[in-house]
Amino acid sequence: MTRRLLIGEYGWAIGIIGLTTGIALALRPWLQTIDVAMLFLLAVVLVAYRHRRGPAIVASVLSIAAFDFGFVPPYYTFNVHNTAFFLTFAVMLGVALSMSQLTGRIREQAEDASQRENVAAAQYSLSRELAGAARLADQVAIASRHLAAATGGEARILLKEESDEHAGADSWPAVDDFHSIAVRVAARWAYQQGESAGLGTPQCAEAEALVVPLRGSTGPAGIAILHPEDESPIPAERRRLLEALADQAAVSFERAQLAERHEQAQVEVQSEQLRNALLSSLSHDLRTPLGSIEGAASSLLEEPEVLSSETRREMAETILEESRRMTRLIANLLDMVRVETGALAVHKEWQPLEEALGVALLRLDERLAGHPVEARLPPALPLVPIDELLIEQVFINLLENAIRHTPTATPIRISAWAEDRTVIVEVADQGDGIPPGEEETIFRKFQRSSTTSQSAPAGGSGLGLTICRGIITAHGGRIWLDSNGGKGAAFRFTLPLTGSPPAAVPTEPVKG
Amino acid sequence: MAGPAALILLIEDQPQMRRFVTATLRAHQYQVVEAGSAREGLAQAAGRNPDVILLDLGLPDRDGLEVTREIRRSARMPIIVISARGQESDKVAALDLGADDYLTKPFGVSELMARIRVALRHSRSGDGTGTDGVFEAGDLRVDLGRRQVLHDGSEAHLTPTEYKLLVSLVRNAGRVVTHRQLLREVWGANYAEQSHYLRVYMAQLRHKLERDPTRPRLFLTEPGVGYRLVEGAILPAPT
Repeated sequence: MTRRLLIGEYGWAIGIIGLTTGIALALRPWLQTIDVAMLFLLAVVLVAYRHRRGPAIVASVLSIAAFDFGFVPPYYTFNVHNTAFFLTFAVMLGVALSMSQLTGRIREQAEDASQRENVAAAQYSLSRELAGAARLADQVAIASRHLAAATGGEARILLKEESDEHAGADSWPAVDDFHSIAVRVAARWAYQQGESAGLGTPQCAEAEALVVPLRGSTGPAGIAILHPEDESPIPAERRRLLEALADQAAVSFERAQLAERHEQAQVEVQSEQLRNALLSSLSHDLRTPLGSIEGAASSLLEEPEVLSSETRREMAETILEESRRMTRLIANLLDMVRVETGALAVHKEWQPLEEALGVALLRLDERLAGHPVEARLPPALPLVPIDELLIEQVFINLLENAIRHTPTATPIRISAWAEDRTVIVEVADQGDGIPPGEEETIFRKFQRSSTTSQSAPAGGSGLGLTICRGIITAHGGRIWLDSNGGKGAAFRFTLPLTGSPPAAVPTEPVKG
Repeated sequence: MAGPAALILLIEDQPQMRRFVTATLRAHQYQVVEAGSAREGLAQAAGRNPDVILLDLGLPDRDGLEVTREIRRSARMPIIVISARGQESDKVAALDLGADDYLTKPFGVSELMARIRVALRHSRSGDGTGTDGVFEAGDLRVDLGRRQVLHDGSEAHLTPTEYKLLVSLVRNAGRVVTHRQLLREVWGANYAEQSHYLRVYMAQLRHKLERDPTRPRLFLTEPGVGYRLVEGAILPAPT
């Protein structure tokens, strides 16, 4: 309460009594002395009701003086003939005192209630915001903001990290977290004792900030350093609010920390599983062909006389096939590395899609022998801006995928069509398709469809589709598995016609 | 192979690769000189005057492109460069510097022998086909003297540019021709960067002269490099 307000209150008390005196003087011919006393009593009660004890006492003393001077015979002196009036004076003083006592208590209770309401409101507002933030860092930011607002200054939260554990509780927080020695001492005390310290507390009162511990369910989680703007001590009730907020934040931090730790552990388990899958997949895929090559070559070298010419030929064929398989696998691995490290350089040129498809079909000629291939590229298909080597690789991977997952003699259909500034390409087979729910997972690294037998001799590396997605994404398109009307698998990808197409190639008449 | 056996210089730093290539070439009655480094290779190229040079682009002591340039300063014999997949720009650079063809590692025997055969033929007959011979490959027959193109026995009608492109490819039959070389020859030097012209006309040629244009058997694409018309028979002009 400021000084001006106090002066106002006393002024009000004096004014009320002055006014009452005036009214009583004006009405004196018609009033009994006892009526006048009642009038003054009313004025005193009014002041005591509206204000605190000081103005009430002033009002009652003034009333007594005015009543004695103007209305108790002999008039206009402070002498009193009838001692009964002393009782009146005493009653007036008593009423003023007990009234102000009563109203003071009521006011305190009201202030208390409103204070409690403020605390509850602040806590509710904090808890609501904290509930909306899952990440610890966000929660710390929210709590800092709320504490700063409640402090009327700045708030800084220091959490003891698990990695700080080696430093021990005695030396936390570290020295370099603070500018002032006093605040640092207060901080350590608050953290170790679990009680507020610093500005406005008996402990380290010389510090320019209040340090409040963040008391979680399993012990102190850290501290909040609260720095009021004017560096004036924070009143006790305000401090209790800050402590309540700090404790509430601490519990919430604990929950967030726990959740994050859990998540971290899950990520570690998953990446561990991925690493294991990668290693077992790689060692299997690399060792199998190498084993065949080594076996066949050593037979040819060490015992050529016992082998029939047909067996020798078969062994040579094995060596050739297995080397080719390894070449493909290594090419896939290198492509994967390029996709993953962002080293995929895309050199786009406008060209007919037919050419890249033609190269892919020729490269897979032998392996496609068992599958009728139907290519439906409309003659009016526009030129597309693509890197031919990369798109050729996409076709090869999708076709290899189809060859691998469909029985011999089932057809493979490749079609393409233009649709508002995009060319859509589809490679569809008529095999068993992809089980529902695996439409996305098959694009993951080292993910084979659950229908693929791991030991299938023609089994893929589990990289083909991942590489396709990397290449198509680098072209600004997307690739997905389309439901092929429930029959087989249909992979679709888009190639956006971005940039300005080249000048039209002039047509010319056929020579005569 | 009539006459004395052709001499082939193999510049390759990996001993295993040298062993495989040398054994294969000798088995096919070629004479072989080996060089394990660029320095040695350049010395042999100057001293032995080989008929064909096989040059690995990944030599440790000197850049393969530089070696190509160095050889071309004084000699015209065919150079076939050997490189790994994914080095298309190096291949194109070597071809534009005057190399004749390339092989991508790993390669098979038939591919190696075909490249050498084509290279020797082109170097012996000068510009390959004369102006009036007849080229035959698969069901394609091109009579250069009469400017007549037969596909599967019936005459194919080509536009002047298509025909020009076809003739360029026929002259280099069996050998790779880069985009740039074809664009210069058919459209002129100003069109060297307009590769979509070439690709569009190539597609047109395939639609007229291939059985299945999406699975070409005659006009092969060398991705990222250029085109190759398959090797064919060259007959003297009919009288």
